[in-house]
Amino acid sequence: MKKKINIVLAAMLLMLAWSCSQDIMDDINKNVNDPTNVSANLIITDAMITSAFSITGSDLAFYASIYMEHNVGIWNQGYSAEIRTGEPISATTYNNSWNTMYNNLYNLKTIIEKCSEDGDESDNYYTLGIAQTLMAHNLATLTDLMGDVPWEEALQPGFIYTPKLDNQEEIYAEVFSLLDAAIENFNKESIIYLGAQDFIYGGNAASIKDWEKLAYGLKARYTMRLSLKDAQYGKVIEYANKSFASSAGQAQLNYNGSTMVSPFYKFFTDRDYFGASESFYNKLDARNDPRLDLFWEPHPSSGSFLLAPNGSPDQVQGLYSISAISNPTAPTYLLSYHEIEFLKAEAYVRLNQLSDAKAALKKAVTAAFQKVNIGLTADDAEEYFTDEVEPRFNSNALSEVMNQKYFAFFEEEAIEAYCDYRRLRAMGDNVIQLVNPKNVDRFPQRYTYGNSDVTTNVNVREAYGDGSYVFTEKVWWAGGTR
Amino acid sequence: MRKITFMLVFLLAAGISGVFAQTRTVTGKVTSSQDGEGIPGVTVRVKGTTIGAITNLDGFYELNVRPDHRTLVFSYVSMKSQEVPLGTEVSINIVMEPDIFQIDEVVVTALGISKEKKSLGYAVQTVGDEELVRTGNANIMGAMQGKIAGVDIKPSSGMPGASSQMVIRGARSFTGNNTPLYVVDGMPIASTAPYSTGNSVTGSDVANRALDINPADIESIDILKGQAAAALYGIRASNGVVIITTKSGRGLAAGKPVVTFNHNTSFDVVSRTPDYQTTYAQGSYGVYQPTASYSWGPKIVDLPDDPNYGGNTDNQYTAEWGEQKGKYYVPQLDQAGLNPWLTPQVYNNWDDYFQTGHTVSNNLSVSQATSEGNFALGISMTDQKGIALATGMKRYNAKASGERNLNKNFTAGFSANFSKSNIDKLSGANDGSLTGPLAAPSSYNLKGTPYHIPGNPYRQIYFRGGSFDNSYWIPDNNTFNELNNRFFGNGYVNYIANLSEGMILRLRYQAGVDTYSTHLQDIFGFGARNNSQGVIDNYGTTYSLFNSTATANFDWKINSDLEFNAMIGNEINHSSSKSYWETGTDFNFGGWNHIGNAKIVTAGESQSEFRDMGVFGSLALSWKSMLFLNATGRNDIVSQMPRDNRTFFYPSVSLGFVATELPGLEDLSWLSFAKLRASYAEVGQAGRYLENYYLTPGYSGGFWLSEPIQYPIGGVNSYIPNSTQYDPNLKPQNTVSYEVGVDLKFFENRFGVDYNFSHQTVTDQIFPVPLAGSTGASQLVMNGGKVQTDVHEVMMYVTPVKTNAFQWDLNFNYAAVENNVIELAEGVESIFLGGFVTPQVRAGIGYTYPVIYGTSFVRDDDGNVVVIDNPGAWNHGMPMSGEPGVIGEVSPKFILGATNTFRFKDLSLSAVFEWKNGGEMYSGSNGLIDLYGMSAVTEDRESTFIFKGVKPDGTPNDIVRGGPNDPDAYQDLYANVLSDIDEYYIHDNSFVKLRELSLRYQFAKPIYKTMNIGVSLYARNILLWTALRNIDPETSQGNNNMGGSFERFSLPQTTSYGFGFDITF
Repeated sequence: MKKKINIVLAAMLLMLAWSCSQDIMDDINKNVNDPTNVSANLIITDAMITSAFSITGSDLAFYASIYMEHNVGIWNQGYSAEIRTGEPISATTYNNSWNTMYNNLYNLKTIIEKCSEDGDESDNYYTLGIAQTLMAHNLATLTDLMGDVPWEEALQPGFIYTPKLDNQEEIYAEVFSLLDAAIENFNKESIIYLGAQDFIYGGNAASIKDWEKLAYGLKARYTMRLSLKDAQYGKVIEYANKSFASSAGQAQLNYNGSTMVSPFYKFFTDRDYFGASESFYNKLDARNDPRLDLFWEPHPSSGSFLLAPNGSPDQVQGLYSISAISNPTAPTYLLSYHEIEFLKAEAYVRLNQLSDAKAALKKAVTAAFQKVNIGLTADDAEEYFTDEVEPRFNSNALSEVMNQKYFAFFEEEAIEAYCDYRRLRAMGDNVIQLVNPKNVDRFPQRYTYGNSDVTTNVNVREAYGDGSYVFTEKVWWAGGTR
Repeated sequence: MRKITFMLVFLLAAGISGVFAQTRTVTGKVTSSQDGEGIPGVTVRVKGTTIGAITNLDGFYELNVRPDHRTLVFSYVSMKSQEVPLGTEVSINIVMEPDIFQIDEVVVTALGISKEKKSLGYAVQTVGDEELVRTGNANIMGAMQGKIAGVDIKPSSGMPGASSQMVIRGARSFTGNNTPLYVVDGMPIASTAPYSTGNSVTGSDVANRALDINPADIESIDILKGQAAAALYGIRASNGVVIITTKSGRGLAAGKPVVTFNHNTSFDVVSRTPDYQTTYAQGSYGVYQPTASYSWGPKIVDLPDDPNYGGNTDNQYTAEWGEQKGKYYVPQLDQAGLNPWLTPQVYNNWDDYFQTGHTVSNNLSVSQATSEGNFALGISMTDQKGIALATGMKRYNAKASGERNLNKNFTAGFSANFSKSNIDKLSGANDGSLTGPLAAPSSYNLKGTPYHIPGNPYRQIYFRGGSFDNSYWIPDNNTFNELNNRFFGNGYVNYIANLSEGMILRLRYQAGVDTYSTHLQDIFGFGARNNSQGVIDNYGTTYSLFNSTATANFDWKINSDLEFNAMIGNEINHSSSKSYWETGTDFNFGGWNHIGNAKIVTAGESQSEFRDMGVFGSLALSWKSMLFLNATGRNDIVSQMPRDNRTFFYPSVSLGFVATELPGLEDLSWLSFAKLRASYAEVGQAGRYLENYYLTPGYSGGFWLSEPIQYPIGGVNSYIPNSTQYDPNLKPQNTVSYEVGVDLKFFENRFGVDYNFSHQTVTDQIFPVPLAGSTGASQLVMNGGKVQTDVHEVMMYVTPVKTNAFQWDLNFNYAAVENNVIELAEGVESIFLGGFVTPQVRAGIGYTYPVIYGTSFVRDDDGNVVVIDNPGAWNHGMPMSGEPGVIGEVSPKFILGATNTFRFKDLSLSAVFEWKNGGEMYSGSNGLIDLYGMSAVTEDRESTFIFKGVKPDGTPNDIVRGGPNDPDAYQDLYANVLSDIDEYYIHDNSFVKLRELSLRYQFAKPIYKTMNIGVSLYARNILLWTALRNIDPETSQGNNNMGGSFERFSLPQTTSYGFGFDITF
């Protein structure tokens, strides 16, 4: 009997040995579905697409579009934002974008680490430069909309759970140093190019010059942004001159309309939250702007043309007219050529060099007319410029430059329009008139922090409070304190 | 139960025999006082020795005795033992009386061990076959509802194949699995859904794999509720174990085969119809708008006078068609090419839509026992047609089991089960298939208006805009289907030997597999409104589990008072699964909803393997049938944890004390039985650890109904760090529990109470801890959380009347489960389980699990709703949307199940009630029909109202709104104010349901030769009362931990009426 028991025990021990060796268990648990390491060029592709589609083109822009009266929110979250209940102060409104921005910054940080001195790809300078450029863009977008945000302590998952906030001023210093570092990297010798992984510029040898122009262009944009704090219009012009010379070189993400669909178009097909803005229509109408007939069309389910009143639309879908330039392939601009010319135009106006300003403005308006989803010609622009823009420029140069910029930004560049508007108001230049009656005390001076931080990061929670600060607290570059 | 008893006794006694000198032979037959038939398996023992025999299948025994032997003891587990003095007779026949204190007292505990219930130091509960099939429920989960204390079963809907959540004594995991381990005939099998419904705000339900078990195949279910009961199963058992024993030929008398056929037909109707307003037409602020989702329009009778669409007024339509007295213009009819002028009428789109569903099931089984062994074969078919169009389920089950005695030591056997099911479902929530029937305006004829334009079946006609499809268009165009094939079974060899006097060794080796493949299709056809060119998702999983279990069991009857049992064993579980998915977007043309017709196709696959390897042992000591001590230990090694944290030890110890065995209490007439019990156990749960990895980013969620960016793009792909990261120091979560209980039976067993208290503390919970977005990742899989649960369970039965002809039995199962979240990882206040940004279902510190979170009413310090005091403002006198917070707790205060049975001769009437007291749910449908102006509460739009609350200065609200001068107030209140306050959507969903009602007639005698027949009539889910308005409280989204708490355009519940009969010969 004892023998039998011994056999049983021996058999059990054998099974134990067979089935639980750590190496065997490691092998069983091996993740065969996903890679644990990939090279920087495979990561940066999505960093570009996310920067354009998700950060510049989607939610943040949709809400800016409402606040800037490019569109009127007529349903659900869009409607709440329009009438300023809930959405502007809720921490959940921009939570997806907040998370996306930090995720993307983390991806970019991963690339930067890989391509820096101690990384696996320390000679991959161009990819490093592109990552720095995109990081500067993402970081500036983040702080432009949210003000003081976590940065120094951010992006360390599993190590720092509650990152502290940094001043916008410090973050802006970081933005410029990233852009300078990028420009330096673009001027290094390298043979590594992104090729087809570069969805913005195509990744050939020539693309590096384009990326450098984008970096200069962003320096121009962000230098202008700080004008209230530190006006350096000469620098703006200097940087802008090193940037795009035509719309051919502008930084845009093109959509193929099938596996990539333009965000504003997708927002219409999936949500249908926007109606045509009455105030925006009226501004164009006053200028006999030829874009009047191109920007809007009746909603397909109503068939008749109806504008939505700003701040007081009926919450009904399928009633108000909609944007006609939202289409499946309408590109998203990280930075457009017309913006470069508008920056120059404003800088020249500020420096009182009006003829240079006018020349830049004309280039800007012409480029804006020729956007692919508008399709007007240079001649159309010429006529419009002469008849409508020039006289207005002559009477109030700044107003016309900024209003034309505001028109040109319809509808993909709503975030920039929103930043310009806040900067102009801070500088005392009330040249763009918004009519939403709720703006009397409920114009969002900024976006709320994301809910993921408000609920888990005490530093952000304290800064968020009850969210009502968005109506009163301006960001630092607009004269605020935080 | 007697069959199991027989088996147990058979095994125990098989070795008791001996041949000695000077012996003579005594023979005889043991019969039952109940039916006069021979009883197989009775132990016949010479008192004071271990010499004995057991009766054969006909009740005969043969025993050699010596002259010094004085007394024979006849014992059988559910019968009263008898002692008969030995004289010189050669034949002793006895008649045994049933021992009412012992009936149904043997239960199957962990790893196939059968034990007398009175010996257990923890609570288990058994559900018998009759209780399960009494009302012909095709779903085993539904069949168990209301019958087990401490077990909360939450169905999602009344759709065929709908998922249910089963949780025993509260939850132990926030986001992981809280459902028990299922063990069928000794083989652990999968019971959870292969796909979670995730946030449960889009798509359709996915059935759980318990559906593959045919209730008609079940002999009995033993529920091991506590950790002490389940500890031998180790790391898989922290949620309790459901041990299912299927029918076999084991308990049958040797001889001819037994054939059983049973049939059930039931008819299903929607369990509840919402109360609608029937006065007002589609539109907004009193104006008719023929494409609005709102019913805040003019009175239906006034539609002909509408300035824009009325036939009595001058407008563009009358200009075209001429005056249409008494009618109004409906553009949808014009789109359909019909006469667009309609006389106003009231429609009930809900009633128009639902059909009478039906379920037909047939079960045929053949079983036989012979002197060499036994077998059973069964086939069954269930065919269900749902109450909603194009829903249904077909299920086929086949089973076989057999056992053969190889020689006096060895037995070999097998059990095999096959199941095939095909389920047609509908989508819910934001993909709501039934938004039309629920919320279409009373003025709109949903059923009567064509659902597509003539000549183009892919352009829908619908009453409203937005992304919802016309419910009548869906059957031809959208598909939500599940196809499942499942096999599980095992083979085993038993060895039994009598080592020496009083020592029995039993060895068992069992190897089994559980394997299934499931293929799902989610199709929104060409022309679907959320994706105009359609989208198809094909996905599926092939899963297989191999299980090997070896046990060695040693029984030693040390002396007449002391018994000892030791067991050791080894178990290996190895599972592997492979999943695939392919998504096709944008069909080239309509009518061919196939991946081959899609313009964009993306695909993926995933493989995973798990191994869990355990060694375990138990020691049991019993003294004088009075004290029972049991200790177990199990060491598990699992593959899915980090290298140095793979091995865990789980102990348990339990003690049972039968007080009625004490000399002073033995003969009390009023107290038949009293036991005290206590136990302690630790059991854990493993997470899955992975090395941090990269993945192709997805763009779903947020505003997007389908992914706007889909890699690869033109041959280019991208990979980013996974935003879920893994803590390399992950360790298993641990559940420490103790329970104490008392089991009392009075007055010859006419009345019994079993009370149990258990306390569990779950520490180091493993879950993806949500991170602040600014950390760059979204979550970290780590240990971080603590939950405590206190459970009071009372099981009570009473037989108030008992005569030969009439018996009245009452059975109660009560449980109060308080499940509190004590701690979460630092910085985390809550864990998202499902739903939207708000409202959502989550776990939150300091609250019971789970809670509903969302925007609340602004309230003052006393909890009064504060209204806006701003004369002239549109929302003057109305409440405000405040901070998001916890707005509802899902857990009920208690659940009480009651079974009432009257038996009069051969007729029995049985009713199962369930009372869920307390608990709340988010009812999106209720809020939305208010928002749309369709619920009956919006019927009155002419009276004035004062919203209950206080003004900001603290004085009671006296602001009068509504009335003739303020016609928009009601719409503003429901559609613009309350619609923004999630708290308004929270409802108490307490209910009392008559779950089952059945009337059965069993012919007492065979109606022809050996043919026995029983017939029954029954009804299920008859709602008696609920605190929730308009919809059945057991209607919800999700097959995961959010189940039962969140409802939004969810599919309704059903009430069923049916009949069945069974024939045995």
